[in-house]
Amino acid sequence: MFKYFISLCFVLSVAIGVAQEQAKDTIVYKTPYGLRIGIDISMPILGLIDSNNSGFEIVGDYRISKNLYIATELGYEKKTSIEDYTNSTAKGSYLKLGVNYNTYKNWLDMNNEVYLGFRYGFSVFDQTLNSYTSNTGSTYFPGELNTTPSTTTGLNAHWTEFVLGLKVETFKNLFLGFSVSYKILLSIKDPDNFKTLYVPGFNRVFESQTGFGFNYTISYTIPFVHK
Amino acid sequence: MKKTILFIFLLTLVFSACEKDDICLLPNTPNLILRFYDSTNPTEIKKVALLSVWADGKDTIASYKSVATDSIVIPLNVNATETVYHFKMNSTSGNMADNRHNKISIKYTPEDVYISRSCGYKTIFNDVSITSDNGWMQSFTPSTLITIDNETAAHVQIFH
Repeated sequence: MFKYFISLCFVLSVAIGVAQEQAKDTIVYKTPYGLRIGIDISMPILGLIDSNNSGFEIVGDYRISKNLYIATELGYEKKTSIEDYTNSTAKGSYLKLGVNYNTYKNWLDMNNEVYLGFRYGFSVFDQTLNSYTSNTGSTYFPGELNTTPSTTTGLNAHWTEFVLGLKVETFKNLFLGFSVSYKILLSIKDPDNFKTLYVPGFNRVFESQTGFGFNYTISYTIPFVHK
Repeated sequence: MKKTILFIFLLTLVFSACEKDDICLLPNTPNLILRFYDSTNPTEIKKVALLSVWADGKDTIASYKSVATDSIVIPLNVNATETVYHFKMNSTSGNMADNRHNKISIKYTPEDVYISRSCGYKTIFNDVSITSDNGWMQSFTPSTLITIDNETAAHVQIFH
């Protein structure tokens, strides 16, 4: 019997160790998995302030793992760009699809996010050149304002987007979010003898074929499961 | 690592916010460039003394008011298909009696061409033809220009 005593001590110590590990695991903080949908609240507000601007955007994401979300934005936008020599309006709809990766380590059952995201964006739009003045660079024979509008329909653009954002759960399942994005054009169709100055969803097209965006969102999670 | 990515991301935002398309640096609507040559020795540039230039029904161009010059740069009216210019010169003393006149009319088809966001549109001139009333300008070349779309060289050579 005594010759097994030490061995028994070993077995028991292992059993105690296992029991302790199991005790730690008994508290599991479950977070909801589900579909989160919301709207951009900056666009309607900007539309009220600036009459050259109108649109709306619906945002949505679906949690597929602890830190990974499939995310999408869908919207319609109409924007008038007033430049020194041209006045043009772009209007159309867009869709963005991609993923968000949450880098924030939550406490307990909190469910906030600081995320990095990537999107593919696509927009179909029309552009109207409302008026323009020929740039003569002289005051002796200045150019006259040409107010014959010309519209090009069926223009499109594709781009990729890098997103940096945060989402904060303010009430249960209700989130306030903010994000900024840096966009790089993949392809764009310009009107004849003119250029696309603004693409819905992409915003102002810079000379370097890049763009910036931001959004403020309010969204609600419809939880499917908690795990 | 994450902080580095964030920092680079923000840095990209800051630096790419200033873009060259905010200021127009590209050439806009071209002017008509005339160069004056000696009619007896057509390869030699010859200055015109006390030259004044004005378009039909307009004031004298401020920079061409009784000047001695061998070339002039004048704008064309982008809102019409013809611009008429008057050239007054006085070869010697500046006495009123010695004033000599010449009229040139330039006919063309204007075309608006898009440049960029900050520059907008420029107008180029197609099917340009020039006629002179043969005052002090004895001859000029060429009588027909295909198009005026740049300012890299003189468009018309005038012999006097």
